[in-house]
Amino acid sequence: MIEVASNEQSVGFRPHEARIPPRCGRKSTLRSALARERAKVARAALAQCRLCGHQCGVDRLAGPAGLCHAGAEARVFSAQTEVSDELELIPTFAIALSGCDLRCDFCITGGPSWNPREGAPLRLNPLVERAVAALQKGARTVMILGGEPTVHLPTALEIVAALPEDTKLVWKTNAHGSAQARELLDGLFDVWLADYKFGNDACARRLAKVPDYVRVVRENLLWANGHSELIVRHLVMPGHVGCCWRPVAEWLAAELPGVKVNLRSGFWPAWHSFKHSELRGTVSRIEGDRAWQIARGHGLNLIE
Amino acid sequence: MKKQRELSNDSPAPALTTEVLILPDGQILVHNLTPTFAGLLARLNPGCEQIASRITHHAAFHHEFSD
Repeated sequence: MIEVASNEQSVGFRPHEARIPPRCGRKSTLRSALARERAKVARAALAQCRLCGHQCGVDRLAGPAGLCHAGAEARVFSAQTEVSDELELIPTFAIALSGCDLRCDFCITGGPSWNPREGAPLRLNPLVERAVAALQKGARTVMILGGEPTVHLPTALEIVAALPEDTKLVWKTNAHGSAQARELLDGLFDVWLADYKFGNDACARRLAKVPDYVRVVRENLLWANGHSELIVRHLVMPGHVGCCWRPVAEWLAAELPGVKVNLRSGFWPAWHSFKHSELRGTVSRIEGDRAWQIARGHGLNLIE
Repeated sequence: MKKQRELSNDSPAPALTTEVLILPDGQILVHNLTPTFAGLLARLNPGCEQIASRITHHAAFHHEFSD
């Protein structure tokens, strides 16, 4: 049996004063032009960064700072055509940016996700050329991910601005972005592929060192569902079916009925999983079956 | 281990990377599955529906692995 695994201002600027170009239909405004303008706003916002749910308010233009430890320039640790993701999105040209605002001990890309200095400097033109070549060869989408791409929102928007207008774009996110980030992303991505990792704040704090997780993620998912196509992912973790998956499934069934849900069962005990006794192995067949029963019992719209 | 890759004009296209974890019970977990590696897995286990479904979704890329 083979399973696909998934474990993830200029001086004086004040974010609330940012003049974010409004969402426009593609018929009236080119996406590339909108993304270009938004990228400038996003880059200026780094001077008092509140792009993710932590809302540190640090000056990332001055250098690496904040809980993500990222500066202003993005690095890329992977850029290739992949078929690991949802069937309706593949093949996808996946661009993975280093750095993340969460600290998931089980992260399958823990090295480059926790360290924004890993990978190579992002060279926009060669990267976009490779993406375009992949699209011409049959890739259906371009996916921007991390780490967490919200951390590098200016760069992500610059990539969007450089891609062909008709590219189907996927924003693969931990759904821990701020309202400011959402406003900058509004109308630019066709699909939000969002994680809902933890069903309660205690597990989120213990495994990913993030406070107030549930509220922030729910806020992002509700917004994304109203502003783009949304696919919610949940990675089943050993020992967390009852505390994490069940409440996630219940909430999705109640608040986002019909939303596409991808239940990922290929947990891989990566990175710092060894720190947690329940995460030192894979998901047992019994737990996997229980997770699927919960999903079906709540009538979730499951996709592969 | 992933290789460090350069994405500048001065460097060749980076090597593609797929990570594989083979469990004692024979289960195989894969991460960052490329079309080429999907083709390899499909050949190794033609009966695996999960890989087969991914092969059919990238016919244009499948030739990379074909003879």
